[in-house]
Amino acid sequence: MTPGIVPPFLLDRLASTDDPRMARAAEAARKTLAMPRPARPTRARLRLSIEGDTLVAETAPVPDRVVSDAANTENLPGRRVRSEDDAPSGDAAVDEAYDGLGETYDFFWDAFARDGIDAAGGSLLATVHFGDDYDNAFWNGERMVFGDGDGDVFVGFTRSLSVIAHELGHGVTEASGGLEYQGQSGALNESFSDVFGALAEQHHLGQSADQASWLIGEGIFAAPVQGEALRSMKAPGTAYDDDVLGKDPQPGHMRDYVETTDDNGGVHINSGIPNRAFYLAATALGGFAWERAGLIWYRTITAGTLSPTADFSVFAAATLSAAASEYGEKSEEVAAVRAAWAGVGVEEDAAA
Amino acid sequence: MPQPDTANDAEGAGRFVVIVVRSGGLAGLSKQWRAEPSPEGAPRWRALVESCPWDAAAEPSPGADRYSWRIEVHHGDTAVHEARLGDTQVEGPWRALVDEVRRAAPATPVRR
Repeated sequence: MTPGIVPPFLLDRLASTDDPRMARAAEAARKTLAMPRPARPTRARLRLSIEGDTLVAETAPVPDRVVSDAANTENLPGRRVRSEDDAPSGDAAVDEAYDGLGETYDFFWDAFARDGIDAAGGSLLATVHFGDDYDNAFWNGERMVFGDGDGDVFVGFTRSLSVIAHELGHGVTEASGGLEYQGQSGALNESFSDVFGALAEQHHLGQSADQASWLIGEGIFAAPVQGEALRSMKAPGTAYDDDVLGKDPQPGHMRDYVETTDDNGGVHINSGIPNRAFYLAATALGGFAWERAGLIWYRTITAGTLSPTADFSVFAAATLSAAASEYGEKSEEVAAVRAAWAGVGVEEDAAA
Repeated sequence: MPQPDTANDAEGAGRFVVIVVRSGGLAGLSKQWRAEPSPEGAPRWRALVESCPWDAAAEPSPGADRYSWRIEVHHGDTAVHEARLGDTQVEGPWRALVDEVRRAAPATPVRR
């Protein structure tokens, strides 16, 4: 579907409601969905591969990347410096962002046949060189924005594919109905971005679940910092332990849940709990993590039925339901997901 | 009859401290800056503080991984102002105050 101002998932939800008070809105949504959309020029690429003795040709859509340069100001979007099919710019941050967006796009297409952030081929917008010594990267609701870091602690946020995919993941969550950025639903929003940050990197490197580092933001710390990355999905709380930064505060189990009013109620802290649940499910199933555990998480987020205020327990139940729909109630996938949530104390362990 | 400790009260009443805590961001690292202006500088700092809209409600910033800000002003032992702001709210007088505090004091990490 060609993108419109009302996202398709919302139209679908409206069109299918049987609430009599919404009858007029439902009818309008059905008409909108049925209306022919104006043709939009689309581009595709041909991919050739060899499977056994067979030459396989397949077409795949291509991303539409636009990278802008804020020239160390905080003015967005900045000057457009590299668009789709442009040659490398020679600016490392610009080219890292461009390549990272492409690798993340490829991951979402190959794993879930998702065509970009809005699932409709919309542009992937990014701005680099944001702010002065700016120690952050963020999603502003429209674009991904990357600072250069201060040089002492952070050396640039575009160096890590997991960071670029994390920011793009926030766009996917928002386009899928969103998770309110506060408390447990906010920590789930953060965790989803870490999950797809890690999976995009594993997909790019061709790594299976047991080969992967499960680190988020590897390579963005300056050399003197005592730490491997921002977060570890495998072992939350162990990513760094540094004189200046302190120790990684992430819990990996509900018994260590951190109550705080800062950071929107600890969204970057308590995300360690669902992060580890994903790691446990993915490594129990083995193979490429995006194929089964990743698909279950993706279906959970994009089904259009998850409440934006879901807490960990509601989300855990939704992943079990998605796993059962995809693989059956008695499947090893359902068992692995159930054991994963029990392993982090969100669900009771039936075997205990 | 106990007499008030005027010297300590005066000192306590005169202390003027502005604290800025920045949390969140992609890294989820919290930093704190604490400025205690000299008596000579206090009038200028008070003007900066009073120019901020302390009663305005916090507005969440759109998107994700934005910074969250907490700004506190203490006179002696009493907290006279506290505001929680989304990243996009830190502009105009808030930005002037935050920048001044950050210039006046080195950051310290907030340990949990």
